[in-house]
Amino acid sequence: MIMTESYLSIDHLHKEFPRRGDRPLNVLGDLDVHVEEGALLSILGPSGCGKSTLLNIINGLDDATTGEVRLAGRKVSTRTRSDVKIGVVFQQPRLLAWRTVRNNVALPLQEMGLPKDEIDDRVRRYLALVGLAEFADYYPLQLSGGMQQRVSLARGLAIEPDLLLADEPFSALDEFSARRLRQEFVRIWAETGKTILFVTHNIREAVFLSSRLLVITDRPARTYLDLPVTVPHPRKPEDDLLFELEKSVTEDFMRMEEQVRLEKEMTR
Amino acid sequence: MWRRTLSVLALLVLWQIVSLFMKPTILPSPIAVFAQLGQNLTQPETYSQLGVTMFRVVVGMIAGVAVGMIIGLTMGLTKIGEDLLDTWVLVLFTIPALVYGILCILWFGLNDTAAIVAIAVGSAPPIAINIWQGTKAIDRDLIHMGKAFRFGKATVLLKIVVPQLIPYILAALRYGLGIAWKIVTIVELIGLSSGVGYMLSYWFGNFSMIQVLAWTLLFTITLLIIEFAILKPLENRLTRWRPAAQIQRGAA
Ligand SMILES: Nc1ncnc2c1ncn2[C@@H]1O[C@H](COP(=O)(O)OP(=O)(O)OP(=O)(O)O)[C@@H](O)[C@H]1O
Ligand SMILES: [Mg+2]
Repeated sequence: MIMTESYLSIDHLHKEFPRRGDRPLNVLGDLDVHVEEGALLSILGPSGCGKSTLLNIINGLDDATTGEVRLAGRKVSTRTRSDVKIGVVFQQPRLLAWRTVRNNVALPLQEMGLPKDEIDDRVRRYLALVGLAEFADYYPLQLSGGMQQRVSLARGLAIEPDLLLADEPFSALDEFSARRLRQEFVRIWAETGKTILFVTHNIREAVFLSSRLLVITDRPARTYLDLPVTVPHPRKPEDDLLFELEKSVTEDFMRMEEQVRLEKEMTR
Repeated sequence: MWRRTLSVLALLVLWQIVSLFMKPTILPSPIAVFAQLGQNLTQPETYSQLGVTMFRVVVGMIAGVAVGMIIGLTMGLTKIGEDLLDTWVLVLFTIPALVYGILCILWFGLNDTAAIVAIAVGSAPPIAINIWQGTKAIDRDLIHMGKAFRFGKATVLLKIVVPQLIPYILAALRYGLGIAWKIVTIVELIGLSSGVGYMLSYWFGNFSMIQVLAWTLLFTITLLIIEFAILKPLENRLTRWRPAAQIQRGAA
């Protein structure tokens, strides 16, 4: 049988962190995920299960303990990072406090060697997209937490990545701005056809946005649920189908937590 | 600002009161000292002596800052650098500045080189220690961000690491400057025949309390001018992104 390799394939990925005077902390246990190009994959999982760690490994910022990650046909590690253009939106804004908003967004573009006009144009476009056009000359510490998060989102989008790794990019926003940004987010995704991995704790958000939904278990993380969301875009947040799906995923999630609780009690 | 003015005025008043009870050869009044200073300032020699000292301090500091920063960064950013250098930097830091002065005069003779080398060697260790400590406080998450966006090594160093060290670099500059002034006066006092330290020793030899104080005052005022005309504005410019800095400026 001839297998065509997926865009991003995660095979038997296992990651542990050494701990002083204790067994290593088993974070990812044997994770298997294959992501097709152009997917918008939401990753859901309990806090501390290793979602941010997974994104780091995919980006070649951390090495797997065993198993491998292949991106666009090449094995990824800290020494052999993929040449796919990867954009990152971290869980925390991670802005450079001494640079204005404009210069924070511009820095990765300068690093890419884009011409100045192009940089100015992109900075303006993406700041406008996240609703911060007026704040280009502010310093990050003069902005609210949600505004900082939006700058970080603009920075990740402005490099126009082939693969976007977004770690809870809307978590610090009010429901109203989050809604508007989700819509923009989906629009960009649909227009560009780029691949997005999207970590979130918000089931409704995951269901609304993604083309596929991955639920992983608590440490050591494995796939618990992997299901496509076939409702076509543009979606309406109040769509009945989406609502049904949200309900069933929520129930699955509760069941998973319950299982974990029971297992813990049994081993005690 | 008015608080600073007030505290200076209070000191001058106190000095004036105390001087009323002392012989002028022990403690002349501030008015007399300022008058003497004013008179000194009409003489070109004063400027040339001050200029000579400034020249030694500036050249010595530039060398000291360059060496201190390189050593501090090496210690802070590489494990090997830290292991190889930390003992030596601490040893050099504890040697009294006077020793550097004496050694340099013995090695280089009674000239500018002796003063400059003594300043460079004396100011480099505290600067290195400051920068080294500063690297401990660097936000690793930001370096992680730089790596995630594939910044080159040079960009990470210049755009992410060094900006975070700026408060430490400024503190190191102030501290280094203080040390440089002390070393230069000592070297000039014990060996050279020019500069502010030499003038102090000259007037000390002539038992002229008023001139000793007038030269000390000149020295102090020069330092204040450097602080308020160069270092403070520089600091404000470099840290204007901090909300606290802006509130202060708004209130002033
Ligand atoms: N560099 C590290 N060294 C040691 N342990 C780590 C390191 N990074 C993460 N961990 C541990 O790995 C586990 C997973 O962390 P991770 O940040 O990936 O969780 P997460 O799924 O993103 O959680 P959250 O939803 O709360 O953001 C945590 O228990 C954390 O303590
Ligand atoms: Mg996380």
